[in-house]
Amino acid sequence: MTKHLFKLIWNKKKQNFLLMSEMLVSFLVIFAVFTLMVYYYNNYKKTMGFDYENLWLVNYNNTYQTKSTDSLNTFYDNLRQTIKSMPQVKEVSFCSSNVPLSQNQWTGDAHYKKIAIGVDHYIADDNYKNAMNLQLLEGRWFNKADANLKTKPIIISDATREKLFGNETALGKMIGVEDGKFDYKVVGVIQGVKARGDYSPAKPAIYLRTDTGSYSSLGKMMVKVTPDADAAFEGKLYKTLANYMRDSHVEIEHMVNKRKSTNLFSLVPMIVTLIVACFLVINVALGLFGVLWYNINKRRGEIGLRRAIGASGQSVSSQLVSESLILATLSLIIGTFFAIQFPLLNVFDLKAEIYIVAMILSIIFIYLLVFVCSLYPGKQAAAIYPAVALHEE
Amino acid sequence: MIRLQNIEKVYRTDTVETLALNKVNLDVAKGEFLSIMGPSGCGKSTLLNIIGLLDEPSKGEIRIDDQKTENLSDKQLAQFRNSKLGFIFQSYHLINDLQVLDNVELPLLYRNTTAKERKQLATEALAKVGLSNRIKHFPTQLSGGQKQRVAIARAIVGRPEIILADEPTGNLDSAMGNEIMDILLQLNKNDGTTIVMVTHDENMAHKTHRLVRLFDGSQVQ
Repeated sequence: MTKHLFKLIWNKKKQNFLLMSEMLVSFLVIFAVFTLMVYYYNNYKKTMGFDYENLWLVNYNNTYQTKSTDSLNTFYDNLRQTIKSMPQVKEVSFCSSNVPLSQNQWTGDAHYKKIAIGVDHYIADDNYKNAMNLQLLEGRWFNKADANLKTKPIIISDATREKLFGNETALGKMIGVEDGKFDYKVVGVIQGVKARGDYSPAKPAIYLRTDTGSYSSLGKMMVKVTPDADAAFEGKLYKTLANYMRDSHVEIEHMVNKRKSTNLFSLVPMIVTLIVACFLVINVALGLFGVLWYNINKRRGEIGLRRAIGASGQSVSSQLVSESLILATLSLIIGTFFAIQFPLLNVFDLKAEIYIVAMILSIIFIYLLVFVCSLYPGKQAAAIYPAVALHEE
Repeated sequence: MIRLQNIEKVYRTDTVETLALNKVNLDVAKGEFLSIMGPSGCGKSTLLNIIGLLDEPSKGEIRIDDQKTENLSDKQLAQFRNSKLGFIFQSYHLINDLQVLDNVELPLLYRNTTAKERKQLATEALAKVGLSNRIKHFPTQLSGGQKQRVAIARAIVGRPEIILADEPTGNLDSAMGNEIMDILLQLNKNDGTTIVMVTHDENMAHKTHRLVRLFDGSQVQ
């Protein structure tokens, strides 16, 4: 019977062309939607790489006017001590303005031998790891002794390690942030941080240690607080900061809230795509249903004949559903040919498994859609009264 | 072979009841060639549809090959039609998207037969109706007479005991009609196939063993 159906479909290829095109376009759109969804989900299920709970971000601008680096360091060391002495504060860290979940980015290159990759640059002090609760995979975080080292220390993320060194160990390797200069020694590897929210990947990153002159350019402070730190404490912290840094614009944000807003921002394109895809699927479903319904009405004589020569109502219904599924299969073969080019050509630099999962989901979806849309017309075909259908012809 | 007892068929709409067949009794013996005649709308095709189990009578009993058919399920009816009955229609009812051979193979698709067997049986059936040289043609490439011969090949490919022909020569000129009639007569004579044929043509009807006349749903001869 399958061969017979293939023959019938092949001989009616002109009539089936439109229906197959519709299925093909639907598959490609659904494939794009599923690729986006699988990509987001894959990112979502991975750990954030840092602890955003009870982590506050203090934005400030440096208003302490001095030409002396020592005075500036003392000014901020005192501020750190003042804040850290509060019972609700567990850790304080000064860092560059491109903190995770902010809109600020600082991108550059990292070099090792002839390999150059794009990375996010972060400047962090010795307390940054504890404040953020970063996960150290190899080596160590920065400490005071690093100020006296001949070679500047650098900490990299696991993605940077993988891209620069593959399976080799990273510790002790000399890398550069400028072309041709390999003047930073890798002292630690941390788990990557999803800096752009739950739905984005942890991009390769490098962490440079703040030096004595850094404070004049830093503008963020990460404050890790205890779970009982409430609004009253926040007000107290604000007052302390505002009194200490006179004329500075101080603002306190909760990283939990920043995560929510960043995630919402990431979800917007997915929501828009989903809405468009939903409308498309509804249109395709109605189109399929209409075309199948029309085909059945055009084939009443054939259906009557099949019933007369030995087809039961059930087998007529199954035949029509099978025909639709065969048409879907042919469309999906063509569609898969195009879809498979994405992992083969490494389009958008996504992992092949994302495309493959999206392809499988899209195939299942199209089969289900075609099956559901064929069921009712198939049932109606089974109900055609052979004597009436044969008489109509 | 076929026994109809007090067959009645009433078509009902919301406002009108039409009696298409009124207490028809008919016995068709095995190997008999019976023709049914009557004016348009007298119930000939309705009677043929009831004999072919394509339609149900409102009242009465049908026995085919000594088997009652009223309690058969849709699937059993389909199997019964497939194994016992062959149909020939005035408008051929060929599938234009299938080649002649595939059209003839159709009834065998609903049986447990291999592709090889189907091809062999269909080729034999086409040889019987003299169309061996047209197996790769599409119905649209054939004349009316050739189309009807394909339909006959399709009706006999499953070697049914009964052939039901609804005005098989109705769309053909007299020469073509005679050719088709000769094939049916040969099938009846050589293979012993029981044939029930509805026709408007007195000449064709007189070539059969027996003639039954209907008028306004009642058997008058």
